[in-house]
Amino acid sequence: MSTLGFSEEQRDCLQEIINVAMGLASDKLARFLNTFVHLQVPSIALVGASHIPAEFESRYQDTEAALVSQGFFGNEGVRGEAIVLYQMENAHKISALLGYEVGDVSEIEMLTDISSILTTTFLNGLAEQIENSLSYSAPRVLSSVQGDMSSLLRNTSFHWEHALKVDISYQLVDHSFNCDMILLIPGEAVTNIQRILDRILEDY
Amino acid sequence: MALPVLICDDSLLARKQVRKSLPESFDAEFQTAGNGLEALAILRAQEIGLVFLDLTMPELDGIGVLEAIKAEAIDCFVIVISADIQPEMKKRVMELGALAFIHKPVNEDKLHSILKQYGLI
Repeated sequence: MSTLGFSEEQRDCLQEIINVAMGLASDKLARFLNTFVHLQVPSIALVGASHIPAEFESRYQDTEAALVSQGFFGNEGVRGEAIVLYQMENAHKISALLGYEVGDVSEIEMLTDISSILTTTFLNGLAEQIENSLSYSAPRVLSSVQGDMSSLLRNTSFHWEHALKVDISYQLVDHSFNCDMILLIPGEAVTNIQRILDRILEDY
Repeated sequence: MALPVLICDDSLLARKQVRKSLPESFDAEFQTAGNGLEALAILRAQEIGLVFLDLTMPELDGIGVLEAIKAEAIDCFVIVISADIQPEMKKRVMELGALAFIHKPVNEDKLHSILKQYGLI
């Protein structure tokens, strides 16, 4: 993880908390899709939010893609916006698995469902481990026709200072499915997260 | 006599969580490993009574460790402590001979009941 002032112990602590939260989200997703999910350790990185459009442009720019965004807020100034990015090509594979027609209106609903499962289960798991509890706003779907993903990303990340990137890569039994989860958080959140991590570390 | 125990997890925090979740009266001599290969090296060289094993690890994962323990008939109890909590994963782990499958994060309640059940405390 690029640092922004995280010590090695804090990084290890955050990675483990995220692994546990991701395990919960994967189990939920596997049940939803009625399949087994090969779980990989998500790679995480903390970057300036302004770098987000450039970082994801190459993967999502020249393809049909969708962005699902959901706000979250809890105690101790923990708040932010979770976004999940998909290439529609990937989403179609899941649609097929669930028996949807490609291009079906309900495909967008399916993406909203999957994003909700991933983000709320993940964030609830994270919150529980740091003894917090979160509320969520309704998810919002922005789909991009070719070429406008970077402006969608720019508009979404504009209001935030930092971004915690979580690369999610799932290998389903017969398909591979990739998406990216990005947690956009305000400047003071980094200090809050460090304080919370230190408190956990003090316990051990 | 102290029980030789190996804690295998790539996360320092997770290894500490295991230590902290054990009862104070638990008489053990601890060693740690940061991945499956390190764990196997220790298991092949020494008598280990009990292994706390993570699944998702670099170099060699926990499934690989369980397979090697089975293939080489290494004599030890294994308690898997995993972030991957899918029922199918639990089934695989138990088929490979693990004593128990505990969901992360580990805590006193989860660990004590298992250790009690097998007369380890």
